[in-house]
Parts: sequence; C-alpha cells; structure tokens
Amino acid sequence: MPPVIDQNKCTRCATCFDVCAEDVYFGTEEGQLPVVSYPEFCFHCNCCVEECPADAITLRIPLPEMLLFKEEGSDQ
Amino acid sequence: MNEVRKQKIETIKTDVLCVGGGIAGLMAAIRAAELGARVVVAEKGNALYSGRGRAGNDHFWCYIPEVHGTDIELFLKECLKGPKLRIMQAGTSMKVMRTFLENSFEVVKLWDSWGIPMKHGGKWEFAGHSFPGDVFTHLKYKGHPQKKILTKKALEKGAEIVNRVMIFELLTDEHGVTGALGIDTRDNRLFVFQAKAVVLGTGVVERLYPSPVPGWMASTPGCLSLTGDGRAMTYKAGGTLVGPESPKRHPGPRYFGRYGQATWVGVLRDPHGKPVGPYVTKPDRRYGDMTMEARSTILEDYLKSGKGPVYMDCRGITDEDYAYMMEAFVHEGLTCLINHLNEEGIDLRKHPIEFGTYHIYPEAKIWITEKGETSLRGLYAAGDESIVSIGPAATYGWLAGASAAGFVGTNDARGVETCMEHIDEKRAMIEEMLARKNGPTWQEANVALQQIMQDYAGLLRTDTLLSAGLSYLRRLRKKAASTMVARNRWELVRGLETLNLLDLGELVVLGARERKETRALHNRPDFPLTDPMLDGKAIFVRMVDGEPAMEWRRTE
Repeated sequence: MPPVIDQNKCTRCATCFDVCAEDVYFGTEEGQLPVVSYPEFCFHCNCCVEECPADAITLRIPLPEMLLFKEEGSDQ
Repeated sequence: MNEVRKQKIETIKTDVLCVGGGIAGLMAAIRAAELGARVVVAEKGNALYSGRGRAGNDHFWCYIPEVHGTDIELFLKECLKGPKLRIMQAGTSMKVMRTFLENSFEVVKLWDSWGIPMKHGGKWEFAGHSFPGDVFTHLKYKGHPQKKILTKKALEKGAEIVNRVMIFELLTDEHGVTGALGIDTRDNRLFVFQAKAVVLGTGVVERLYPSPVPGWMASTPGCLSLTGDGRAMTYKAGGTLVGPESPKRHPGPRYFGRYGQATWVGVLRDPHGKPVGPYVTKPDRRYGDMTMEARSTILEDYLKSGKGPVYMDCRGITDEDYAYMMEAFVHEGLTCLINHLNEEGIDLRKHPIEFGTYHIYPEAKIWITEKGETSLRGLYAAGDESIVSIGPAATYGWLAGASAAGFVGTNDARGVETCMEHIDEKRAMIEEMLARKNGPTWQEANVALQQIMQDYAGLLRTDTLLSAGLSYLRRLRKKAASTMVARNRWELVRGLETLNLLDLGELVVLGARERKETRALHNRPDFPLTDPMLDGKAIFVRMVDGEPAMEWRRTE
C-alpha cells in the first residue's frame, strides 16, 4: 500500500508528515522513521514524494486502481 | 474521564477567519489582509498541499475581452452551452457568474504576476472544455506551483495560517456569525475562533457516494478530506443552501479516479475503434473529446448496453501535442498517473486507456450574493462550495475577501460569550467520542451512509425509495452520533466529517424527493417528464426550528 519509504534513504526529517493533507503519516515522530498509519487514505497526490529531500518515498498504486488499457495491436 | 482526552481550549481572535486554505481561502486571505484586516486561515491539512487545487490545475475558466470580444453576456451564454458547466454551476446565480467573469481577467493577471504561469509562449492560450469550431472558454495554464505561491503570498500579506485545524461548527448570535469552533487534528486542543467575519472555502463533497472502486474510498477523484464541512456548518447555523439534489458525474480513467478529463488529448473510441462521439476523429490538443462533457454517462451507457468498454485513445497524437499533454498532466496534479504509466510500461501513444463514468456527487451549494455573502450576516463563501472550479474559486475568493474586509471595517467584534453553552455542548460531544471504548468507527458509519445514498438516492429515485432512504438515514445519523468511537484525533476528524456528510446526505434525499420531475441525471421514474415550469428555479433549503425547510426560488 502507498506510500513506501526507503529506510536507508530516509533522514527522519518528518517533512512527509508535515505536508500530507490526509495525514496518512499520523503518529509520526520527528527523528523517527515515518509511520504510514492510514495507507488506505492515500490519494497519491505525490506531495510527500515531491517534498522529500532524500528522495526516499515512492507511491505504489493499489491493484484495484490500476489503469486498464488495451494491448498494442489488439484492435479488432 | 481520562485526562488525556480532555480538550485544552485555545482562543484565537481575528477580524477575518478563512476556513480552509485552498484556492478560495488563500485568495480571500490575501485580499482581506492587503485591505488591512487581521486574517487567520484555519486549514485541516497543510495549506501548501490542500484542497482540490493541491497539486495543480491546467484549465482556468475566465473571460479575457481581447480574446473573447466585448460582449460578456454572449460569452456567458456560450460558456453554459455544454451541460457540464451548466450542471456544475447549478445553484449559482447568473449575477454571481457574471461577476466572476467580469473579475476573472484581473485575477489571471495577478496570478501571472505572482509567478503562476498563465501564458503559453507569451500568449493567452485557450484549449480544452470547448466544442470544435465554438468559443474557447478555458485558459490553459501551468498551475502545479499554485498552492505554494498562494500560501507564500498570504503569509507575505500578513495572514496567519494555522494548519491541522478542522473547523466543525460556526458560532453565531442573533446578529450573525461571531466565530467558529475547531479541533486540532493531532493534539488535544479545541480552538475557539472569535472573528468579525468568516469566509468559508471548504471545497467539494467527497465520500457521500461510493467511489469508483467499491469499498476503496481513495479511488475517488477528489480529496478524501473534503466533506462539505462549510455547507454542513452553514446549514446547521441557519444559512441557506441551494440545489442539494442535483447529481453530477465525472468521467475519467476507470477505477483510477481522477479529474482532468479535458487534459487528455485523444478520441473516445469503442472496442472496434469507432469514435463514440461526433466531435473529434483524431487527437487535437485544442479540444480534447467533448463527447464526455456533452454526456458524462456515455461511458457507462456503452458498458450497460454491451457496446463497451470505451477507451481514451491518444494514438496518432503528434509529438508536440503529446509533450503538451504530458506537461499538462503535471500541472493538473496528475504526476502519480505519469509515474504509474512509466512503471507499468503504458505508452499513451500506443495504448488506449479505458474510461469510465464515476459515482454521483450531488452538491448543495451555499447560496451567495455577487459579493460572496451568504444568507448569514458576516458569513461569506467562495470556491467549490458556492461557485465551482478553479477560475471561480480564485476570483470569488478574492471578491469574498474584499467583502469580508469591508465588513470588519464597519462592524465591531461581538465576542463569543453568548455561545458558551454551545461550545460546552460541542466539547462534551468530542470528549465523549474520544472516551467511548466500543462502537462503530467513522468508516462503518461512512460506508453505511454511502450504501444508503447509492441504493435509495442514486441513479433511480422514486418517492418510495427516497422516503425509505430518508428514514434509514435519520436512524443512521442518530446511531452514529451517539455510538461512534474515535480512537485518536485522526479518527475524530473523520468522524466529524462523517457527521457532516450524514447531514448533507439527508438534504440530498429531501431535495430529490421534492424535485418531482426528471432532469439531467436526476432520474425519477415516478415523474418521467422534465417540467418546464421548473426551468431557472432551484430548491433552497435552510433549517427552521431544527427542521429542514425547503422552497422553490428562481436563481437568476
């Protein structure tokens, strides 16, 4: 579930916790690794990804939301 | 009671309180502050990234005389030609829309001067949301940085921004609004805001109907924390709302709920490659495919009749238009979509994407005058809750901010002393929710609400269904209010939002029952005709003696 934190890159600055409108990082403490308390509430707005100074966050799109597309050359 | 759950009370005094730090709230704050008012913005999240304009927008509805000619009346008429804008702006008076258009260019120029790029190659470029060969209504702009720029501007002008506060109740006396109550979304604090004027800018209503993926709230195209708080508060305080029942539905990538239909440069095609609409046969960045604006449910119609699915087909797009579209996705706040395409190896130049019609979102709007005044003295509203979309939000935020500043210049603060009983009652309600050990969560209550809305006031509405739905909803409201648990502040916020949604849901059902006709997406099999007598009229609703009172009025 989104977001995914790279523990090795994360500097524990809590910027992600600061910016998220849905507060999916609720309960995070400064100096600690961010806690993704409410991943199901992530809207994938990408703000934490953009703001993270260490490029430590990626968002994973949940399977039910995957884009449905037509394969190349599958036209009838 | 557990000491930890007791609320510390903090009082903040100001001239103007802006509720919500979205586009409208920040514009109101900037304008009111530069006119000399003391301004506080209370924002549920962080103003840098909140509201529907959080990650950007790429279309700004506006009137630029050098582009559109000098006849504003004609332009307004042309704009409302497509059902999308007409349905979206139902419940907003023509006077308000005219005033918005008159002032929109000034706001466009301001934004451009503040560093939000409103031009392409040094020119005003209009594209999207327009029928081929017809008038262009929306300025194409680069709004990705808009929230950061507006937040900075508000602070520069001297406004104070208090993040992580959810305003959930207006405070009033017999003369009008005196302030508002808010909760800290993270700490045990209750805020009492004492204000001469309040500007509401709390945005759209999400979470009232099930999202595109059932049971998966985050697949909604909007923002999950926008739950019509301003409308619910206005209604509870005795203010007037309008048109609660009119359903709107958006199309977009099926299940990946997102706004931005006009950002796509492609053709909607059936599985055999045949365009489903008459407007475009190859991708054209000037128009997109207006078929889904002419009929947002066409995608669902195709599925239901077995002719679907329908694809947004960008194949054949020129390299230049492809680059243009991809850049516009970023500005429309759809970076996550681009990342997903890259990760999955989906290339829009090769792979058509299935589109779907999303769920219903009906919106009672807060009725405003052309100055942005609501029916309650000292209370103003702007943005999606009174005139929808980014251009109107920016412009009416600006106008409402000026009106609020003017109001505080001529009115003394009355204080909130007469509201102490009201404050205590709300404080007790919150502490009780936090103290309960067992009971339904906000999510249970919210899902229960969604299923009633969908099944009793959804795509088919009849008197028997609506009446049954109303009684179920009222029972649910009572049960939720008296038993819902909040295990922490986050759940408390969601719980208060859900209570607001329950109030708004009731108004949808009542309005839908009152509208005894079929019109646009309001489908009443028991009243199949569209009644011409109701053209130009809307249902106005307000609370009188604790009960909803409805009346039909003209909206010109």
